[in-house]
Amino acid sequence: MASQTKAEILRQHQSNADLNTPIPAQVMRGQNDLSADGIIRPLDERIIAATAEALESGQTHYVDVPGIAPLRAAVADFLGSFADAAYQGGNIVITAGMQEARFLSIQMIGAQFDNIGIPEVVHPGARKALGTRARNVISLPVDAEAGYLPSPESIAEALAGGCRLLFLESPSRLSGAVYSDQQVAAISQALAEHDAAAIWDQGLAVWVDDSYDSLAACDSEAERVAVIGEAFPGMGLASWFIAYIAAPEAWVPPMQSQKQIMSICTSTASQYGALEASQLYRAEGNQQLASLRQTRAGAAQLASDSGWTVLGGAACNIIALRPPGGVDAALTDLRAAGYDAADGALFGAPDIIRLTVSNSTADALRALV
Amino acid sequence: MSKKKKQGTNLLYNMIAEANSYDDVIVMGRGDPDFDTPAHIVEAAKDAMIKRHADYSPPEGLLPLREAIAERVKRVNNIDVDPATEVVVTNGGQEALFLMVVAANGPGDEMIVPEPNYNTYADSLAFAGGVKVEVQAFAENDFRADPADVRAVVTDKSRSLLLVSPNNPAANVISPADMREMLSIAIEHDLIIIADDIYDLFVYDNFEHVSPASLPGGKERTLTLNALSKAYSMTGWRLGWIVGPADLMARVRELKAAISGGASIISQYAGIAALTGPQDPVEMMAEAYRRRRRLVLDALDEMGMSYGVPQGGQFVFADISFSGLDSGELAQRILTEQHVLAYPGSAFSKDRKDYLRMTFLQPEEKLREGLERMKIAMQSIMAEQQS
Repeated sequence: MASQTKAEILRQHQSNADLNTPIPAQVMRGQNDLSADGIIRPLDERIIAATAEALESGQTHYVDVPGIAPLRAAVADFLGSFADAAYQGGNIVITAGMQEARFLSIQMIGAQFDNIGIPEVVHPGARKALGTRARNVISLPVDAEAGYLPSPESIAEALAGGCRLLFLESPSRLSGAVYSDQQVAAISQALAEHDAAAIWDQGLAVWVDDSYDSLAACDSEAERVAVIGEAFPGMGLASWFIAYIAAPEAWVPPMQSQKQIMSICTSTASQYGALEASQLYRAEGNQQLASLRQTRAGAAQLASDSGWTVLGGAACNIIALRPPGGVDAALTDLRAAGYDAADGALFGAPDIIRLTVSNSTADALRALV
Repeated sequence: MSKKKKQGTNLLYNMIAEANSYDDVIVMGRGDPDFDTPAHIVEAAKDAMIKRHADYSPPEGLLPLREAIAERVKRVNNIDVDPATEVVVTNGGQEALFLMVVAANGPGDEMIVPEPNYNTYADSLAFAGGVKVEVQAFAENDFRADPADVRAVVTDKSRSLLLVSPNNPAANVISPADMREMLSIAIEHDLIIIADDIYDLFVYDNFEHVSPASLPGGKERTLTLNALSKAYSMTGWRLGWIVGPADLMARVRELKAAISGGASIISQYAGIAALTGPQDPVEMMAEAYRRRRRLVLDALDEMGMSYGVPQGGQFVFADISFSGLDSGELAQRILTEQHVLAYPGSAFSKDRKDYLRMTFLQPEEKLREGLERMKIAMQSIMAEQQS
């Protein structure tokens, strides 16, 4: 006899649209996969050597739940120097990848608030994390002309209407658009006026081709802003699943408890690899940014010359386009040419495709035009 | 989630933090084997860093690893699974545990839990909004959970039945006859079985481990977890798995993608080496645990402690009621005065304040010293009680 219990579990599962949201791969599945969040990069020999040394010296056992102390300190230092954030090592939780950072921050910080405001256009991993346990979600309207970010005015309106926790991306994971310094200041002021808080995804900020303004920089006492992001992206660690949450002190214990419950700690190999990457990051990151800037500019010119709309984005690792003949036709043509791109519908913007910027991006566009 | 529900987890976390502050601490609490990961597994990880560091892995894990897992669960557990659709790789057994509980239970659903049990099950169930229904077992019966007691607590809200064998912390192994009866209850009342087999390679004397999914009618309603942490001394690599019927595993896969995405590619290649490479390190460790278990039981006998005879696993759950202290107080005194970490039973269940869990995951010399220190602490406490 068929199990009614199983049937009921599956019925509940199938009706949970957020949980079933497809999400892009975390790293390119090959040179022609331009749909992924992360790019394939070489791994520095010094990272291999440091990780191997850690494993051979017996760092193969459980470590502290929030991460090894030197890595937590390195992430705090990085956020201080890069984004002028006021976090210390004790504010950092090392996570098993970016999705775990989204899940822990949305669910465990979210549990301390009555509701959470989520942009209408956002990385689908945020919706997927919300699908694991029901939360009271307030949808934040976005401005397509501003790279699909919610405007500071619409954020202020949501806060005035009772929203108490925001989930915001800057750069946008779809378009790469960022908030300006005045906009960041306006959001910060609105948070303070309404005694509200924010989770701020700045994982793509390292690819911004200009100065970057973080909401965390306005939170000088680290009281109301949590920052999430990949740990040292571009260093070849995308498949090692290593990311961070930097949060006000009072928010760390619930995330730490949940991290203990769901995975105890993050892989030691990944943590020691990221620790070494933190030492090499500044020099390597700048070189990569220069290369990506040039590649993205070439791709943007090619697309623009062919009548495609190129969305304004400051992050050089992705490019968002509005195809003149529609998204379905563009994706079909790309697949026929052997390339994959991310469908903007996954993010909430069905007229957009997102391409990872790599050596293959221009070739993919040439195949279309 | 209420503070009360997380009490066990936080209590242990605080004790671990204190233990880490002592240079001479002897850890007989945490389930972390003292052995290093076998060298051929570390070599495979190094090789993967050089050649495969950027490989893409889907949330359910690399197919070659899932194939190795399918071969392992067939060989060891007699469970047939399709690696394409019935295996999901996880960040350790802990993530597997969380995913299984959340996949099978929703708000208001009852999960039947033979007690004592690992506290994370209750924490995971609380996340899902489920309700724990306890079935008690005691040292005098070596912590055997009686199927009749399980049957007695089934209601129309019962959704799942947790079967951990060998059990943590009580080290009971569910007998084949009892396992058949548990499955029969699950079939009769249409329950999902959540099976934790993580200690299946560590079974002592003449006891026998049986996976419920290997029994007729079991697989289609059972999610089974395991991990490399205990068997291969790979706790820091965070690699485990769930196997189960394809329909339920589709839900597990989506939950896995929602909470973390994938497991580290380096750990996955190390996992392939562990499962497909030489297995003598596992047997060497199992033999060491057999010797250490005897050593610990002899010492407890000498101290006059009663316990359920550990039929499997890597620990013993001892009755400390004669001390007159609550297990939290006793464990704290042993830690602070003698720098020996043992876990209080109250961290596992509010009803187990009279028990301590001690692991035998230290070299014999250290275990002897730890037990000697524990004896000194107990003598001091008993002298206070008598004065």
